[in-house]
Amino acid sequence: METIELTFTLNQREVTVSVAPNRRLLDILREELHLTGTKEGCGIGECGACTVLLNGRTVNSCLILAGQAQGSEIITIEGVEKAGGKLHPLQESFLEKGAVQCGFCTPGMVLSALALLRKNSTPNVDEIREAISGNLCRCTGYKQIVEAIQAAAGKLQRK
Amino acid sequence: MQNFKFIRPENLDQACRILSENRGKVKILAGGTDVMIEMRDDKLPPSIEMVMEISHLEELRFIEDDGKNIRIGAATTHAEVAESELIRKNAPLLAEAAATVGSPQIRNRGTVAGNSITASPAADTIPPLLVLDATVVLRRGTEKREVPLRDIFTGPNQTNIGNDELVTEIYFEKLPDDTRTAFIKLARRNSAAKSRMNFAARARQNDAGEVIELRISAGSVTPSPARFNAAENILLGKIPSESLLKEAGEAVSGDMIRQSGYRWSTDYKKPVVESLTVRVLEEVLTIY
Repeated sequence: METIELTFTLNQREVTVSVAPNRRLLDILREELHLTGTKEGCGIGECGACTVLLNGRTVNSCLILAGQAQGSEIITIEGVEKAGGKLHPLQESFLEKGAVQCGFCTPGMVLSALALLRKNSTPNVDEIREAISGNLCRCTGYKQIVEAIQAAAGKLQRK
Repeated sequence: MQNFKFIRPENLDQACRILSENRGKVKILAGGTDVMIEMRDDKLPPSIEMVMEISHLEELRFIEDDGKNIRIGAATTHAEVAESELIRKNAPLLAEAAATVGSPQIRNRGTVAGNSITASPAADTIPPLLVLDATVVLRRGTEKREVPLRDIFTGPNQTNIGNDELVTEIYFEKLPDDTRTAFIKLARRNSAAKSRMNFAARARQNDAGEVIELRISAGSVTPSPARFNAAENILLGKIPSESLLKEAGEAVSGDMIRQSGYRWSTDYKKPVVESLTVRVLEEVLTIY
């Protein structure tokens, strides 16, 4: 099959890949670029495990066709940590509050939380719940996740 | 996943040309929240050779007020509609419905136009658009055609839009200032849930309390989304009372049974349809 060439910004770096047109953004990230932080859960846009930021908004990368990534700006969980491998305050808070159990939903949760905190630096509990409503945690550790996001918001405020 | 050629047209004219020149061979892709699942399950018709992306076309991405109408470009997402001040002010029921679709991730990709032409009986934005008397603007090659949204549905998940036609926008007249609107969604949970049933309504009453305008529509009640004229007519010209509202609810459930038949679920659905009708009417009408 013919391949298509795509150029987009991934975690602040420009990348160019040549892929089959029927691949999903999720496949490109995991299999072409070896960024396996983004997980595949349901594959039909319901669980949010594959959440990434596309032009600043959360999307399910399992529902983005390869060619739709052309020219876009994408942030994955690998792009969340600070320079030198220092964890982002959100990641720190997830660890401190015990918000990571099996960890499968965590990358998506962190990205949904990041999108929220960029828009709203002082979210209340309802706003946090709404922001992560497209991310399912089968360990059902939602309470700790909400607490971690609250704590991270507090940390970012004090900075 | 099936094989196909990926097309990313430079502009709307080129997209329409490609569609006309390759009639029946092109699948249009915007938000992808339904199409990607179809492709994942290898359910694209075998005639499809190309998938054409349109979500990047700026010409299809707008929400504007032309003085008389509010116009929504076909590639405008649910999130953009839900957040739009223009929509919240002029069609709050549509903003509310768009805000309940899927999850944040789905709303950031899925489009209101796509939701309409996918024609799911459970679509959240169709009942509000029917209540708004929305019109769909279509392009076939260089020709433009306008058709009332209510006339495109031919059955569950089916429309009469040609396979060489592209929806470019949906528009509706701005509501008179004294209009009240409401949208109610019934689902298993708050997020990432298909509507079990949804209701939309708009109404106006004169100083005497008489209903001078009323439109009611619902999803997952009839095979295709529709208005409920019989229920509307019960209240038009009258001063609303609890008993008239109840009668309107019975008219809606009567329409449901006539169109969908008496099914195993009807005993459960009938009382729900009736009480949701009353509830949506209570939100838009002052009862005397």
